[in-house]
Amino acid sequence: MAVCIAVIGKENSPKYISCINPSMELHFQYKVHVSLDVVEEKLQAVSKPIADVTKEQYLGLLYSTEEHKIYGYVTNTKIKFIVVVDSSNTLLRDNEIRMMFRRLHSVYADIVCNPFFIPGEVISSKKFDKTVKSIMYGD
Amino acid sequence: MPAVPIADDCLFEFIHAELVNYVASSSKGDHDVSTLEYLGFCCGYRIIERLTKDWPRFKDELDTLKFMCTDFWSSIFKKQIDNLRTNHAGVYVLLDNNFRLISKMSSGNQYLEVAPRYVTFTCGLLRGALANLGIHCVVTSEIKTLPACAFHLECWLHVIEFPFPFGMTRVSRLGT
Amino acid sequence: MSRQGTRLDQKKVNSELFTLTYGALVSQLMKDYENVDEVNKQLERMGYNIGIRLIEDFLARTGTGRCYDFRDTAEKIQSAFRLYLGISPQIMNWSSSGDEFSLQFDSNPLTEFVELPDHCLNLKYCNVLTGVLKGALEMVQMDIASCFVQDHLKGDPCTELRVKFIKRLEDAIPAGED
Repeated sequence: MAVCIAVIGKENSPKYISCINPSMELHFQYKVHVSLDVVEEKLQAVSKPIADVTKEQYLGLLYSTEEHKIYGYVTNTKIKFIVVVDSSNTLLRDNEIRMMFRRLHSVYADIVCNPFFIPGEVISSKKFDKTVKSIMYGD
Repeated sequence: MPAVPIADDCLFEFIHAELVNYVASSSKGDHDVSTLEYLGFCCGYRIIERLTKDWPRFKDELDTLKFMCTDFWSSIFKKQIDNLRTNHAGVYVLLDNNFRLISKMSSGNQYLEVAPRYVTFTCGLLRGALANLGIHCVVTSEIKTLPACAFHLECWLHVIEFPFPFGMTRVSRLGT
Repeated sequence: MSRQGTRLDQKKVNSELFTLTYGALVSQLMKDYENVDEVNKQLERMGYNIGIRLIEDFLARTGTGRCYDFRDTAEKIQSAFRLYLGISPQIMNWSSSGDEFSLQFDSNPLTEFVELPDHCLNLKYCNVLTGVLKGALEMVQMDIASCFVQDHLKGDPCTELRVKFIKRLEDAIPAGED
């Protein structure tokens, strides 16, 4: 269960954001923006001769605050998914977070193939919304 | 979840041929090869998202090109690229000795004239796929003898920016 | 030597490329023609061009002979859908005179990733299929007409293609003549 899910495009342009509590959207936009710096750092680490760590698309925990934990994922096409969960949610396992990203990536790969969707535009797909809501509410 | 239905292989060739005919004979506006190339670009851009979904990150530009020559080409054109050459400075030549979309054309002169039209979409396909992977290039084709076709790639970002190790060309962050 | 050197699913990738190419074609037509009806017509026309060639492939692959009657034709069309699109539409709603029937199916490779925007409600996204049927059956001396009466892309419970037999054609024009 996530409290916020965001999609950032290439060149770090925002493509989608959804929060369980819509009034917190501005707050989360800021958190997501900050997390992009951490994403860049992790991606740069690829240049150092460390074994396979960042060969994966899942980047793991980016950073955490008192209230939230922020996780990241970058596709081969430089699309970033950010998932924010409540810090108090200790039951959430790493595996479950990975699963959230897999589902997000899967539906993203679907909507990119909609001929009426122009890549680069903001995402406004009902199918995408449905999956994001399902991930946030833990279906 | 029910299995997604799979279309037969031959349908892509049929629809591709119709696309070529439409663009070549269209009375609507100034359609020419650039439209066909653009349509290929759109398809390449979109399909690469799906193809690389469960794929480990590419090490560098060459690694990406190798993927295009093997897995990408195999899954679409039923065989790998026969020969990949590069000058290690952003220029690549991909040679397919029996390119699927022109393989049924015998090497007569009348086909040689028409054959390039059947390769344009694929040039765009390559360009679109690479663009979405962060490699920007110009793709042209060369048909000397049917059914062989060579694809020439010039990656121009390579010239402008000094490539970071492992091909992670850093795109400067624009204000959101 | 069919799946040479890749762990990607070749059949699936080809099918997806077909879906995307068709989508690109529809988008281009939408740009070229302001009138959606024209787009629908163009799709049917292209389908016709495909149909007159596809029938050769179908006859060669299935070794099928002449149809005994229109019910036989319906079954052959159904098996063509299975062969080429990987779906098994249901044949239903026969007219009392036996000259009209419906094919019902849900998604098919053409519509796999499609979400129709609100301004495209008059677009018959799969209209190429009506042309394919017309062209293919014309080559076996049958004049038919078909149209979509339900479309799952528009929120209908399924997609329904209604096929009507018009008349038998004379064994006249040899294949290859335009």
